[in-house]
Amino acid sequence: MDPIRSHYEDDADMLELVREFAGEIPSRVLRLMELLAERDFEELQRIAHQLKGAGGGYGFPQITEAAASLEGALREGADEASVKERAELLTATLRAVRVPEPS
Amino acid sequence: MNPEVPTPNRVLVIDDSDFIHKLVRVRLRQEGLEVTGEYAGERGIERATSNPPDLILLDIDLPNMDGFEVCRRLKEHPATRHLPIIFLTGTTSTDSKVRGLDLGAVDYVTKPFDEIELRARVRAALRTKRLQDMLEQQSFLDGLTGLWNRAYLNRRLEAEITVAERYGRPLSVVLIDIDHFKPVNDTYGHLFGDVVLQGIAARLYEYARRSDIVTRYGGEEFALLLVDTCIEAATHVSERLREGIESRVFEARGHRVEVTASFGVVATPDAPGRLSTESILSLADQALYMSKDAGRNSVHVYTRGGFRPASEVPRIDDFDDGSGAE
Repeated sequence: MDPIRSHYEDDADMLELVREFAGEIPSRVLRLMELLAERDFEELQRIAHQLKGAGGGYGFPQITEAAASLEGALREGADEASVKERAELLTATLRAVRVPEPS
Repeated sequence: MNPEVPTPNRVLVIDDSDFIHKLVRVRLRQEGLEVTGEYAGERGIERATSNPPDLILLDIDLPNMDGFEVCRRLKEHPATRHLPIIFLTGTTSTDSKVRGLDLGAVDYVTKPFDEIELRARVRAALRTKRLQDMLEQQSFLDGLTGLWNRAYLNRRLEAEITVAERYGRPLSVVLIDIDHFKPVNDTYGHLFGDVVLQGIAARLYEYARRSDIVTRYGGEEFALLLVDTCIEAATHVSERLREGIESRVFEARGHRVEVTASFGVVATPDAPGRLSTESILSLADQALYMSKDAGRNSVHVYTRGGFRPASEVPRIDDFDDGSGAE
């Protein structure tokens, strides 16, 4: 997947927040993988819901899109393969996030 | 009127995600708003009811108690019933929007939100809130004199009694009745009577201190609520007002009309038993009638020892801070 950059990285007000958000991505990814392995779909849906709400706000509409797709699948009780596929797309999207290093 | 010191509008964000709190804070920064936050519904309700903000941004997916329930409870509580609530949520279904708005929210914004849109919606909600506050304030104003009215006095007195009891601070109430007002009205007409009422109101307001609440209590009766003011200070203020009214001359059809007023004063530490708006006003009223009986144009007070003329209250000179200097 191509690197994903925040729409707001040139916004001085936002850059600091975007960095913080990106800084927490590794632990989010880990959590998503754990929940998927444990089949804790309820908590998985909650996390997806939160990422859907926050992603776009931090300039990452791709995160919102992938998270919404996972949330939707979980809400509709999609089969496990479909949930897994969408969760993997979300983690891949999160991993592709890049932010400018502090100068 | 007691001019309110302008303060920034306060917005309370109730959301379980730290990322949303930070984002909202940054996005609303340029609106000059004071943004505070809570992460759970129960805490949010606690915060909103104990110290009501001007606007609440409310998430729906909250742990334990969801945003709908939070909204319902806020709309039930007298302290928060009138506060505008905007749902700010990732839940985008029409069902949820309808449910949220039907519960009394003024708006529904979905996450991820567009910053410009959120700011515009926040501004719109605050604009409506200001108009509502203004309407409420107008319902507490007396049309003729521009002073607060009796409804406001009752409400404010009740609130101030609670504060005075909790902190052991004195609180005084002064009832003022214009002497022989009916003959003035009958002789010079009601329009002139109105001019007199306005003139007295202006004088009361002019002589009152910043913290004093000046109200038109009814017909030719006025009431003052003096917070943090002991009986000695209240007596002093009343004497000053009595002299101020006495020295004011009205002109009607070439006649000089002089008006006087009678005063009844009561202070809370001296009021017996459990304090209530009714008991305080009743004692002030009785003191006022002592002044009428004593020949009018005078001040009588109620203290622990009973009713007595102002001349028997220890004098306080040189106080102007309203705290009743010892």
